[in-house]
Formats: sequence, structure tokens, C-alpha cells
Amino acid sequence: MGRESNEGEMGFKHGGGDDESGISRAGITSMPLYAKADPFFSSTDWDPVVSGITGGGGGGGFSSSHYHSMAMDNPGMGCFPHYPPGSGSGSGYGNMPPSLLPFGECGGGHFLGSDKNGESVGRLIRAGESHEDHHHHQVSDEGVLGASPTRKRRQTEAESQWNKKAVEEFQEDPQRGSDGSQKKQKAEQSKETMNKESSQSEEAPKENYIHMRARRGQATNSHSLAERVRREKISERMRLLQELVPGCNKITGKAVMLDEIINYVQSLQQQVEFLSMKLATVNPEVNIDIDRILAKDLLQPRDRNTPTLGLNPFSGFQGTMPNISTSTNPQYNTLPQTTLESELQSLYQMGFVSNPSTMSSFSPNGRLKPEL
Amino acid sequence: MNKRQRVFSLQPNKSPKAVFARRYASHLVPALNKININKTSSQVNHKSFEQTVKHEVDMALALSAQEFAWSRFLQHKLLSSVHEDPSESSKILERSNYKQDDEEGGGEIKKRLKELQKLLPGGEEMNMDEMLGEIGSYIVCLELQMLVLKSLVQDNTS
Repeated sequence: MGRESNEGEMGFKHGGGDDESGISRAGITSMPLYAKADPFFSSTDWDPVVSGITGGGGGGGFSSSHYHSMAMDNPGMGCFPHYPPGSGSGSGYGNMPPSLLPFGECGGGHFLGSDKNGESVGRLIRAGESHEDHHHHQVSDEGVLGASPTRKRRQTEAESQWNKKAVEEFQEDPQRGSDGSQKKQKAEQSKETMNKESSQSEEAPKENYIHMRARRGQATNSHSLAERVRREKISERMRLLQELVPGCNKITGKAVMLDEIINYVQSLQQQVEFLSMKLATVNPEVNIDIDRILAKDLLQPRDRNTPTLGLNPFSGFQGTMPNISTSTNPQYNTLPQTTLESELQSLYQMGFVSNPSTMSSFSPNGRLKPEL
Repeated sequence: MNKRQRVFSLQPNKSPKAVFARRYASHLVPALNKININKTSSQVNHKSFEQTVKHEVDMALALSAQEFAWSRFLQHKLLSSVHEDPSESSKILERSNYKQDDEEGGGEIKKRLKELQKLLPGGEEMNMDEMLGEIGSYIVCLELQMLVLKSLVQDNTS
């Protein structure tokens, strides 16, 4: 539960960074609602504030959904510290925070229905903008296994796996946490210790930022601990990459995995090059319908949280993932075909493709088969 | 707990993928239009035109993903060398063939990590775990780039 409130605050802060006056407006426009519920707020102290801000801010910029999400991210609690000090009612605010507690629950009760929306906005905002925190969090959380602050771990993942769904990350976290601890236990069982110091679990190397616990029977001098931390980091990342690169789910072993990744990146780069060559031969129209590209369903945030990508029933781009994951390398070259067909079919069904004759040009022997 | 975290964005177009795709298309299309307007007929089939297009393609990628270190490296590289060698990717392939199995054990992994580093723009200036993190985003952006390019090509060939 504490985790949730942290997220809410984080999301709210970032949202505040985006549009501070907007946030304050949202927070203050939430007042009248609460004012009805709680007699405390019907005091005259609030009125000048409300009118002052809404008058000054011209508060109509918000859609109601936005308002709801902001309110939900912080059911009354964190709103107030974010208000600009010049808003005029400093004395009024001074009395606010302690009395917010009953109030916050009230607000929470109001907005239960929009819980998901609020969280998603907060999370998406955070996912899109957490790159600044990259180094900050990286040092502090990577070394803590098992009882890791999963929120921070989510953030490093959010920016390193920027396009991954937040849901996927969350679902992976408990898995990874347990995997990490399992791995560690296996490692300590199979590893031969250099110094046989037993159960020295309190030694934390002073020169590391990361506090690492030496498990029983493992070497505890600073070098090997640092080594281990690094190795854990690397295997963490490799695990994430494993889910990105299609067909790597069954591979165990770092070297083979890395090979797969290298091949995949190379093939992607080659395909990009091929496509750009093709692009050089066509005349791009002035009005490219970006929405049509986006409508191809590849950018739907849904359903990326399946641990095995093969279980994806949705069409479009997502539909290509099961094709790839069950096939071997050479099938990368046939990726465009299956993508196009499935995308076009979904498009046609949705009525986006007005010209049915275009569909015939994308037969399996169509032009877009890359000839590499 | 997991159920609660299965969220949908309020506006589907705000998802990071959509944001990237939008940005990418909005960078690439005007650049391509500009090239096409300025090109002479003699240039059309010449290799330099393709190079220019590839340059813009890569540039659009770098500009659309500013959050990542690799995009900044890519940008610098593109800006500094305007006339890039289009056979760079083949160079990468050659390099990977040179490295044979002369080390064992951890060396193999290190060798592959180094190769991966070379694939990523700016990878050689990063340390290993940073590089591994950046590779993830690079892969996803490459995939999205491919999709946008594909749709551009197919929308314009009829």
C-alpha cells in the first residue's frame, strides 16, 4: 500500500513538472467537491483561493478525465505541497495537511472507479520521463536482491525498457525478485569459496555504494563482492533482453543468448537499411497519415504482459510476435510479410483501408519481401 | 495486486511506442520531402541519394529517442560525418567474423559483449551494464522504426 502511494506521488510530481500551473489548478478545482463533503472546507478561507486561482488560471484547460486522474494519483494528500506559494492563502494551507487525513479517505472513496486511469497516467508519465533518474536509481537499487524496492527497480526498467509496458514490468518484478534470490542460492551452493568465511553476513564493502550481503559460505572480500554485484547486474539485463528478442525464451546460457541478440540487432539494422533503400525509390506523399500507422494496432499497450509472447491473440504487430518466437532465425526475413498481411487484414476490417485492391498487392510474394 | 496493475492508458496515443512512432514519422517525412524537392533527376539512382535518405532515416531515429544515450551518440556521429559509408553494416559483419574462438570461458561472453557494443551507437563509450540497458531500448526503437518505414513504403507504392 505504501508502494502505491509512493507511485502516486511520483506520478504527481512529474505531472507537476510538466505543467505546474495546471496541476495547481487541478488540485484547487478539486476543492469545491471536497468542500461539500467536509464542513472544514466550507470556511471562507477557501473561497478567495479558489476564485483567485481559477480566475487567474482560466482553469478550463482540463478535460474531466485529466482532472480525475490527477485527483486519483493523490487522493487529497500530496496536492497541497505542490501549490505555488504565491497562490495567496498560505495561512489557510498551513492548517490543511493534518486535517487531510479523513479527507483523503473521503476523496479515495469518491474516485475508486477511476483508480486505474490515475495510476496509468502517473506510471506512463513516469515511464516517459524517468530517464533523469537513471543514474540515481541505478546505483542504489541494483545490488539489493530479494527484498528489493520494486518501485525503483521498475523505474530503471521503465527507462531502460522504455517501451515495455508498465504492467509487464510489474508482473516480472516478483518473478525476478524470486529468481534473483534463487539464482543466488544456487550460485552460493555451487561456487567454491576463496576464503572460507562463514556466515559473515554483515560485511558491506565500504567502497561500494551498493550494500551487498554476503551469503553464507561465499567469499566476502571486496573484490569478489563487487564482481558478484556486477555479474548480477549483467544477468538482470540479460534477462530483460531475453524477453525483448524473439525466440530467446528457451535459451539458457549467456553466450548463446548474446549471439541471438547480436543476430537480431544486425538483422534489424539490415532491414532498416533495406527499407531506406526502398524509400529512396518512392516519392513520399506530403500527407502521411500518421494516425493510420498508429492505428495498425502495433502500439496498443494491451496484452504485452503475457510472459510468453506466443499467447497473444491480438492482431496487428503483436500478432507477429508469436510467429517469430516459435520460429528460428531465418524467419526474420519473412517478418515483413506476416506483419503486413495481418496488419492489412485488421486494417481492412476496421474500415481504414478504403481501397481493397491494395490488399492484393501484398501477397506473400509481394514487393516487400526483402532480398538480402 | 497484479490485476490492479493491469492498466490502460487514458489516451492510447500517449504510450511510449506511439510517442516514438509519431516523433519518428514527423521527423522523417518532412526531411524526405525536402530531399525530394531538392533532388535533381541525375541523383535519383545514384548511391549518394540513397546515402542521403539513409542519413535522414537514421537522423530521424536519433531525434525521436532523445531519452537514450545511444540516440545522442548516433546524432553526433551523423552530424560529424555527413557522407557516411553505407557499407557500415557490412563492416560490422566482417568484424564479427574476425573474432574466432581463441578465448574460453568468460572470454566468449566478453567477446560477444564487445560485439554488441559495436552494434550499438556509442556502445563503445559505455560500460557493460549501461550498454546492456541501452540495447533494450535500441532494439525496440529499431523495431518501431522498421514499422514506420514499412508503412511509408507501402503507402506510397501502389
